[in-house]
Amino acid sequence: MKKLVLLLAIAGISTVSFGQIDRSVRPKAGAAPEIQIKDPQVFTLNNGLKVILSENHKLPTVSVYFNSPSDYALEGNKAGTATLMGELILSGTAKRTKDQFDNEKDFIGLSINSGAKQLYMHTLKKHLSKATDLFTDALYNATFPQSEIDRIKTKYESDLLAGKSNPSFIGQNVIKKVIYGEEHPNGEILTEETLKNITRDDVVAAFKRMFTPTKGYLTIVGDMTLAEAKEYAEKNFGSWKGAQPFTATYSTPKNTQGNRVIFVNKRGAVQSKIIVAFPLDIKKGDANDLTFNVANQILGGSGFGTRFMQNLREDKAFTYGAYSQYKTDEYGSFFAGSGDFRNAVTDSAITEFIYELNRITESNVTADELSQTKAMMTGRFARSLQDAGTYADFAYNIFKYGLPEDYYKTYLKKLEAVSEENILDASQKFINPKKLLIVVIGSEEVLDKIKPFDADGNIEKLDAFGDKVKETRAADITKEQLIEKYVLLNTNSKTIAEAKKKLKKIKTVEQEISMTTPQVPMPLTMKQYFQAPNKSAMSLEVQGMLVQRQYFDGKTGGQFVMQQGTKDLTPEEIDEKKKTAGLFEELNYAANGVKYELIGIESINGADYYVIKRENSKGESFDYFNMNGQKEKTVSIVTVGDETTEVTNTYGDYKDVEGIKFPHKTSMIMGEMGFNGEVKSIKVNQKIDGKVFLK
Amino acid sequence: MKKILGTLFFVSGLSAVSFAQERIKYVEYDLPNGLHVILHEDHDNPLTVVSVMYHVGSQNEKPNRTGFAHFFEHLLFEGSVNIDRGEYSKLVEKNGGALNANTTPDRTYYFEILPSNQTELGLWLEAERMLHAKVDSTGIETQRNVVKEERRMRFDNQPYGTFIEQAFENLYAGTQYGWSVIGSMEHLSQASEDDYVNFYQTYYVPSNAVLSIAGDIDIKKTKEWINKYYGSIPSGQAINLYRNFLRLDDKRFKEMYGVDKSIFDQKDFFASKNAEAKKIIAKYSAMPTAINRPGKNDDKLTKSIEKTIYDNVDLPGVFLVYKLPNENHPDAYALQLMNSVLAGSESSRIYKQLVEKKQLSTAAFSFPYLKENAGMNIIASINAKGKTDTEVIAAIEEEITKMQNELISDEELEKVKNQIEKQFIERIGDISNIAEILAQSYMYQGSTELVNNELAKYMKVTKEDIQRVAKEYLTKDNRVILKYLPKQD
Repeated sequence: MKKLVLLLAIAGISTVSFGQIDRSVRPKAGAAPEIQIKDPQVFTLNNGLKVILSENHKLPTVSVYFNSPSDYALEGNKAGTATLMGELILSGTAKRTKDQFDNEKDFIGLSINSGAKQLYMHTLKKHLSKATDLFTDALYNATFPQSEIDRIKTKYESDLLAGKSNPSFIGQNVIKKVIYGEEHPNGEILTEETLKNITRDDVVAAFKRMFTPTKGYLTIVGDMTLAEAKEYAEKNFGSWKGAQPFTATYSTPKNTQGNRVIFVNKRGAVQSKIIVAFPLDIKKGDANDLTFNVANQILGGSGFGTRFMQNLREDKAFTYGAYSQYKTDEYGSFFAGSGDFRNAVTDSAITEFIYELNRITESNVTADELSQTKAMMTGRFARSLQDAGTYADFAYNIFKYGLPEDYYKTYLKKLEAVSEENILDASQKFINPKKLLIVVIGSEEVLDKIKPFDADGNIEKLDAFGDKVKETRAADITKEQLIEKYVLLNTNSKTIAEAKKKLKKIKTVEQEISMTTPQVPMPLTMKQYFQAPNKSAMSLEVQGMLVQRQYFDGKTGGQFVMQQGTKDLTPEEIDEKKKTAGLFEELNYAANGVKYELIGIESINGADYYVIKRENSKGESFDYFNMNGQKEKTVSIVTVGDETTEVTNTYGDYKDVEGIKFPHKTSMIMGEMGFNGEVKSIKVNQKIDGKVFLK
Repeated sequence: MKKILGTLFFVSGLSAVSFAQERIKYVEYDLPNGLHVILHEDHDNPLTVVSVMYHVGSQNEKPNRTGFAHFFEHLLFEGSVNIDRGEYSKLVEKNGGALNANTTPDRTYYFEILPSNQTELGLWLEAERMLHAKVDSTGIETQRNVVKEERRMRFDNQPYGTFIEQAFENLYAGTQYGWSVIGSMEHLSQASEDDYVNFYQTYYVPSNAVLSIAGDIDIKKTKEWINKYYGSIPSGQAINLYRNFLRLDDKRFKEMYGVDKSIFDQKDFFASKNAEAKKIIAKYSAMPTAINRPGKNDDKLTKSIEKTIYDNVDLPGVFLVYKLPNENHPDAYALQLMNSVLAGSESSRIYKQLVEKKQLSTAAFSFPYLKENAGMNIIASINAKGKTDTEVIAAIEEEITKMQNELISDEELEKVKNQIEKQFIERIGDISNIAEILAQSYMYQGSTELVNNELAKYMKVTKEDIQRVAKEYLTKDNRVILKYLPKQD
């Protein structure tokens, strides 16, 4: 076949002449294409459910979305209930266990997902009836088994632990909280405290409130005619009964008086995350919505060509990336520019953000900027249309936000019509570079640098969840007294002499801890070894596979990490190991010359803690002791070049083993990973195979 | 970006499936220079995919110059006569598009997805790549480092990451598939600029390519543009006459062609007015490009081969690699479904037995990898700690024997057919997949129309077919056993 083609081609060649063509001329774009979006068809069932059909017969598939008519409720000290509920809708029904549900779903290749306000499925049309049976079973009969609630809560606990040291997670929390405030669902943040308070009853109540047919929306996209859709909706959703939707109004966010600087302390950070934000009074589909979208893209929307990128990355090299987002939902809108910056340039970076916000309110964007931005947005819009979900969003948004029916049909034309002057007008109207929220998540060493940006010079300090931090206050005891308190408590002793005597009798300790993390389906086994006076080792295995191992025989040691291999300890690391040897290393701080200080009493989630700061060759660490002197947490910060890694260990459920208290519940959070540990066994003074301390 | 196709599943039989519902319509024709054009009109969304598939993959490489096909997938983003270095991707992005490319043992594929009012831009960009891409030492040096890094990251530093390479080297030893797509970094380093230029001049010619366009296009207008940008590229060796005109100095050009460069039109080479120039262009146009096109090579093995690899792993792994026929073989469909039953999901047989019930493995999977001229079936286990290869292989063989001796259940057959159908239909909802499937069906399955019959072929597979192919191909002689063991220090 191919050969034949070739022969024909050769035969034909002599008759073909090659016309003049100048390939250095780049083709120009044609006229902006019009989007072919059929008007959605709408009807309402007797129970008040509004059905929106977006017909598309290209493929024999159907997507069905239920969208809740209810507003979010304020959840107070149970913030996060709706989120939790949304994740649990597919975890079992009155008719099917979760396993049965999953098996039936797999058999027909069904995609189904749930959220706090939505249930969604995508199926081949020929499996529609089976798929709908599963969909409505979840919608009407979700049971929220306690075991599943517990499982998700454990997962969220780990996520929160990990999130607390993640600047992006902190940034989102803080921005939502400062823009919307506490009396607004967008400003309510899931914390460790609120998670604990959520019960199964709360979840069930939230489900009832959200998933009701009255004034709800059922959006159908795909291979269905209007007649079919009417019969389908009536048959499967017509007899669904439910309460009136829950409605509430919330105040729209207001601008601050003057620039307001908010600081979140991330100990030891070498970079500051900066977020410059403000609320805007724009609703979805407003005349200004699209214009501001274009302005946002020019400022920092996406790609390398934006002003933030050009200024802060390409020109100043302050950062790897600086971006902006413009977010609008039913309750209000906000703009936020952000990036990560070296400590030393934190103030300069803020200055440049403000400079760019000023610049766009002072003069027109260039014709090039505007045309490239429009081209990028046109492409993105067009590509998004390959996804059926986009059509569902369009149809739903038109009703939800009362947009003109041809809003999305004419979207690209409207985009094309946005002028330089429109952008200047909208920028002047909505951007006030003197009323900004400036959030900095970073080290305390940048505090002085960022002070001048605050209108009244008073920096607000918040924690990872956007709550006010109580200032550290002076401790009522000395660091030596604290350590004594801690050692006496855990050795059940009256005096240090007694404690030392008891500790002298401890020759070996071997602990086995089972570690779980949401990222790994099976538990990890951690073993820790101690042999007096100063040998120590640790190994971490998953299903018998060695992931990590550390060993120190009192003089030298090293570590093995899967996929990285074995590395010996450096002389500094050996020195460090020697300084911190012993079952209660704190006892030897003074003798070993460890640099440490008691920096005071801090209040976290309503409880007070003594905080000890230690310095070592790789960074610093902070130990948190409760008022009884028990150690509950250690935060270690390791700095390598521009990167800091924070590792948090927590210790709880202290119980006596051979007269010494050991924590029986622990956790470890490293970057995005969070592990929960449960002690399986602690063996004291049993022989340990010496090999564990050796290479 | 620009990766070797990672989803092995789609390289195989699934590459050109069709479903019974609506026929995928297209127009196809050849340009005089041999370029095959396929146009699929779909006005659902204002998007166009412009793609070019070159019929060159690792199987076309010389055994001492492996990795070339994939290397070109990187190199050909460097720019062209009219596109500055590094500008290619930026041009697409700032005009609202996205782009990518990938390489298999059989072909190299480039595509742009653009707003449909930028269709002409896409055609121009691909013509720049086809006619006069930058193949020079600067680009070669840059991309060598990129590819070396890719090899380190994706294969060498991944535990068991070399298993596909090992499978190729052992199962296909002595044939065109006897090395991996990423190839040898030494070969890339040893190769001279001339080696690279030769590769470009041999395989990157219109008669070795399919231009496949799908989306919101006007067929008539699109044909005009195609004629403008591609019809103006001459056939045969004239394209390389032009490329050498660009590349060589006067002296070397004259040595090669016996004429002075000055007789050609300096701006529009192919429109040269000089009589001698015209004559020589015509002469080279009539001279076809010889392409190394290896044939079928899928005979079964007669004796099992065993190989032990010491790798940076903690747990031993076992990879059983069976020789399968080429992807056009009628058994391809039954083989695909058989693999889904064996290890397609967490409820499939090997996974359930080895991982859940017997706990011999921490992971177990199975997939067919069918190519133009041969195929393979990989069944693999990462063993649980303390479990021996013997135990694991015995357990896998037990499942294979079961497939060979007993028919699968009706329910199992229906489930895997349901899953295949859903995957296919989801896939063709995206025009970039359609452009690729059409090109692929034409290029190495011989007929574009296959796209419209293949799903039916899957649906016709019976339980008996699955039993038969299990007996036919999953035999003890017809396989390579790869054993991965922890490296000893």
